[in-house]
Amino acid sequence: MNPRKQFSFSRRDFFSRTRDGLLGGALTQLLCNDFFGGTEALAQAPQEPYNLKPKRSHHPARAKSVIQLFMNGGPSQMDLFDPKPVLNRMDGKPYPGSVEGIGNTSTTHVGVMMGGQYRFAKHGQSGLWMADVLPHTAHMSDEICLINSMWTDHPNHDNALYKIHSGRLFMGYPTLGAWTAYGLGSENQNLPAYVVLNDPLGPPKNGARNWTAGFLPPVYQGTSFRPTGSPILNLKAEYNQPAAATKSAQDLLKQLDKIHRTHRPHYPELAARIESYGLAARMQLSAGESLDVSRETAATRALYGIGEEPTNSYGRRCLMARRLVERGVRFVQIFLEEQPWDSHVDLADNHRAVCRRTDKPVAGLLRDLKQRGLLDSTLVIWGGEFGRTPTSQKSGDVYTGRDHNMQAFTTWMAGGGIRGGMAYGQTDEFGHQAVGDPVSVHDFHATVLHLLGLHHQKLFFTRSSLEERLTEFDHPRVLKEIIA
Amino acid sequence: MNWRKKKHLIIRLLACLNSLAAGFLVQAAEDAPVHKKKINQHDVLPIVLLRCTACHGAQEQMGGLDLRTPKGMQKGGKSGAALIAGKPEASLLIQRIENQACPPSGLLLKYFVQRPSSTELGTLRKWIAAGAPEEPGLADVATTQPDLLVAGEDRKHWAFQPPKAVLEGHTIDGFIAEKLEVNGLSFSPEANRSTLIRRAYLDLIGLPPSLTELNMWSASDDSQWYSKMIDHLLASPHYGERWGRYWLDLAGYADSEGGVSADPVRQVAWKYRDYVIESFNKDKPYDRFLLEQIAGDELIDHANVPEVTGAMVENLVATGFLRMGIDQTGSRTMNFVPERLGVISDALKVLGSGVMGLTLECARCHSHKYDPIPQRDFYRLKAVFQGAFDEHDWLSFKTRTLNVATPQQLKRIKSVNPPLEKKLKALDQQLKEASNTVRLELLRQHYPRQSEDDRAATLTALRKADNTRTLKQRLLVERLQRVEVLPQDGQSKSVQAARLVVSNLEREIAVLQRQLAPPDAIRALWDRGRPSPTYILRRGEHNKPGKLVGPGVPSVLTDGRTPFVVEKPFPEGTPKTGRRLALARWLTQSEHPLTARVLVNRIWHHHFGAGLVRSLENFGVKGEQPSHPKLLDWLAIRFMQDGWSIKTLHRHIMNSRTYRQSSHVRDLHLKTDPQNRLLSHMPIKRMDAEALRDSILFISGSLENQRGGPPDAVRVNRQGLVSVGSTENGRWRRSIYLRYRRTEIPSFMDTFDYPVMGPNCVERNVSTVPTQPLMMMNNAHVRELSATFAARVGKLTRSGDAGDHVELVYRFALSRSPSAVEKQLGISALKKLRQDWDDDSVRALETYCHTILNSAAFLYID
Repeated sequence: MNPRKQFSFSRRDFFSRTRDGLLGGALTQLLCNDFFGGTEALAQAPQEPYNLKPKRSHHPARAKSVIQLFMNGGPSQMDLFDPKPVLNRMDGKPYPGSVEGIGNTSTTHVGVMMGGQYRFAKHGQSGLWMADVLPHTAHMSDEICLINSMWTDHPNHDNALYKIHSGRLFMGYPTLGAWTAYGLGSENQNLPAYVVLNDPLGPPKNGARNWTAGFLPPVYQGTSFRPTGSPILNLKAEYNQPAAATKSAQDLLKQLDKIHRTHRPHYPELAARIESYGLAARMQLSAGESLDVSRETAATRALYGIGEEPTNSYGRRCLMARRLVERGVRFVQIFLEEQPWDSHVDLADNHRAVCRRTDKPVAGLLRDLKQRGLLDSTLVIWGGEFGRTPTSQKSGDVYTGRDHNMQAFTTWMAGGGIRGGMAYGQTDEFGHQAVGDPVSVHDFHATVLHLLGLHHQKLFFTRSSLEERLTEFDHPRVLKEIIA
Repeated sequence: MNWRKKKHLIIRLLACLNSLAAGFLVQAAEDAPVHKKKINQHDVLPIVLLRCTACHGAQEQMGGLDLRTPKGMQKGGKSGAALIAGKPEASLLIQRIENQACPPSGLLLKYFVQRPSSTELGTLRKWIAAGAPEEPGLADVATTQPDLLVAGEDRKHWAFQPPKAVLEGHTIDGFIAEKLEVNGLSFSPEANRSTLIRRAYLDLIGLPPSLTELNMWSASDDSQWYSKMIDHLLASPHYGERWGRYWLDLAGYADSEGGVSADPVRQVAWKYRDYVIESFNKDKPYDRFLLEQIAGDELIDHANVPEVTGAMVENLVATGFLRMGIDQTGSRTMNFVPERLGVISDALKVLGSGVMGLTLECARCHSHKYDPIPQRDFYRLKAVFQGAFDEHDWLSFKTRTLNVATPQQLKRIKSVNPPLEKKLKALDQQLKEASNTVRLELLRQHYPRQSEDDRAATLTALRKADNTRTLKQRLLVERLQRVEVLPQDGQSKSVQAARLVVSNLEREIAVLQRQLAPPDAIRALWDRGRPSPTYILRRGEHNKPGKLVGPGVPSVLTDGRTPFVVEKPFPEGTPKTGRRLALARWLTQSEHPLTARVLVNRIWHHHFGAGLVRSLENFGVKGEQPSHPKLLDWLAIRFMQDGWSIKTLHRHIMNSRTYRQSSHVRDLHLKTDPQNRLLSHMPIKRMDAEALRDSILFISGSLENQRGGPPDAVRVNRQGLVSVGSTENGRWRRSIYLRYRRTEIPSFMDTFDYPVMGPNCVERNVSTVPTQPLMMMNNAHVRELSATFAARVGKLTRSGDAGDHVELVYRFALSRSPSAVEKQLGISALKKLRQDWDDDSVRALETYCHTILNSAAFLYID
């Protein structure tokens, strides 16, 4: 077998030092950082299989892990974070520029200027602007850096989603989470390095392509933990069998595989495969435990809005994310079902509803991370794939929503070395286009990698003799200004 | 090169500039805008093609205007001449663009055009002001003058030299032995008979032997039993299902378009899949196989024949090879020139990585960093495809299939389909209603106090796209979704009954769909005989045109002094450029340095787990050196001498001592040849996803033997598990016949490294991740198949003797008898399992069979 293509979690020397090898040793300490030692990021020995062992970063990291609160559908920047008095004054008037540059549908659907839908106020010592539909998040303003000048390359959900997650407009490329897992490995070998928490109501638009490893080895792919029941596909037997029979079967398998391997010396992949059965067994134990929010105090649960509606569902996922990060998971993404922010119709009501679901849990997460001393090492990212237009959009017979806007949107970050309480970048007077310190998706990715101790140029994967990077051939800008 | 001598090649494309100037201009074109020289029509045409010809070009001439040539511009349309030389302000072309009448605001998205930039407008104005000067034929093509961009030195790389070998007096084993001896090694002993049987079966047909065949080969006292077994397997129709799959990976086969999340299904992609399987089964000579796939539409003028034959249909289906990549240009918003260029570049990448062993795509944006492939050569190759893949004359999704079928096929479609379609339509309606009944029952059960009006409003809301729902509608839908995912046993009787109606209808629909005669549509690529000019795109950007180039092949693979000769294939018939035909002929010349080498190396790779050149897709300077260069050349020449027969190649390889070695690794091997580059032993191999799934189905007696036709549908449950429905016989077809929609890859296949096609897969990963054991241990379907397997074993051993059971399980699953230890372990495990299962021996055997399917001995091939 071609060793170049051998990917596995472990390698032979590791296996030979694991005392009882197989199914024992749940939550074993064996796999901690010390045991493996570090390796320079990407400087894998040529024959070493791809794995999730912790790797040394390119430079000292500010953040050890990332929680991405992905706001699918495209939240409206001028209604939530980036107030526009001029726009408010022009409410109901025609758009003064060329309507060809607005939205993603035919120009005949472009309506008139639509003022902000909510009341804004300044918050915290820093005085960040936030709308009144985000009362809890507003309380955390001094931890938050608003990036108001994000822009992207495509006004369609599909392509903008590929772009924001993988830096490309097309499917098949590794996402930020996959690159992170590839570059840094994981601190916990009993859990995947990259975990995705989906909405029980359903998957987001683009589904699993939001957390694909693309052409990277599959070990770096995001693992979607199911929100209800057992967290990973096939984690528990989907048939009935007495525990004793399962135990007997495992014993038999262990013996048979040992015989098989003894007769075939010098094939490390056989050891790796046996270990993958061990890891599977350990995952069965630790995955369930890591998501069990009932182990938290009532006070903590209340902080996230667990046990009350409409925050229960999102709150649970935010708390699960904290538990995962605490256990060394490198990258956690939380999604909402389909694309609730995509408000072509009834924007005021629809946005308010999503805020009600998410605002308290998000603020609870920041507060909880902070009080546990985890916020310093955890980068929290809030944002979607694009923003919305200053004009209303005709949908059916009504003009009550906004269309997609790739030219400006707001993303915020907190923790993990970010300077809190600042707003970065400016948009024009309508919030239509980023005009001051524009931040491309590549800039955004380069900054996140930088905080994780990775350099976007040094982080590459060779495919068909080509060096592939998250940030392509561009020379993106690390936003040094927003780093504390 | 002997293609120069071919008498039927008549049209020669000769460059007008001498090569010194050509070289200089190409270099200039790559680095800087072209304005250093005098402005001419080639500064303007790329702009007009990009911005204007969607409405005034090949497909439409609105207002009677065709802007594709300067002549057309001067001739103008109903409103008069589009340009007046020397007077830009008086020229309609400039006026219309300036006042934004053109392109019309309302049509930008319909025709996928964008307004010219001010720089572009400036260029147009400048050209008209200069009197709209034209220079004759500047297309850069290979000439008889030496090529200055690619030097003789560049051609010295081993893979750019034609293969050379003396066939007589050499064998595969001779070449291997020679290197082994130099390194103080020798061949490993021959593997034992049962190992050879299992190895050969899984290798050639991807299935283990049946018990009858196992017994036959095991007991044979014929000294030629082994080579007879190889012949027997090569004659099996399962051979094409196994080896065709490798080619489908190379082509990037997919049953959907990809690119957008709707991921539309490609209804007839399967015809190409069947073509590939058939071609392998028929041992179609590889040169012919390539010819059909690259230029099948230029072989016979199917539009001008009295009767369409099966062979003609096959030729057209074959061209699907170049249309397998991601193609989002059918989308409402993703059909701009850059996206079209992406489709073209993917096709070139498939050709380059799969057939030519070159990373051609590196030269799309700039001259290749490592290989002597100037950017010019990428665009010359693009020009070869321009007649069929024209970003300025792009066919819409609806017009991008050919409807060609034999009279028999048409007759069948006409007689069989209408009544079935009528029934299907009615069933679809019933299914819609039944699904709504399920929803209403769910709402009634879980929200008894909800009004019937709200329930009806929920159904209405579901008919709207989720992003155009009002808040009230969203909340109604959410309420429904919340109860839809609850476990089935918590649902009321009426919900369960309604769901049963739905699944019965689904089954009925699937059965009827299988009875439909395949439609006459073919997903083909065909030349339309009117290529737009091809310009180099600086930095690969669609709006940075450089120099005009003509069709050609990478110079480094030629002597650099030979024009690329193209002739129209049907001078009296359908207009076609013949460019791809010329390419295919050039590729299959016996002197071609790469075609045969790349193919034999791929075949070698599949037999031995690694190629003689390990970088299958890259024979260039940065590719790996061949471990046995002389053997590689010998195989390539032998292959061509044997009429490009892949089956003969298999025979050479599999009958060799090299292939028949044991896979046992000794300490000496590890020391001298740790990577097995010298082939001192056979490596063990893990079954790929197809072999694994098909073997489990075969062993459990659940494999449906139906071949070909539309792919089997898959289902996605709310947890994201993608599973495959059984046929009406309660069985499953081979994995190659499943539907591979890019966004719905069956979970089992995905778990065992079924690749993401991007655009193709030149070599699969072999990963070892815990999701694999989880799938094998816990998945309900794997368990059911284990139970079927156990029932089969139980039936065949009426004695109920545990020893007999173990014996039979091993022969089925591992094609051998258990060792004494394994047998003893099996017997005691069965005894213990029987206790664990409260004395249920049937269940005990199920667990045992399931365990064997989980064992390394099953997963790996010695």
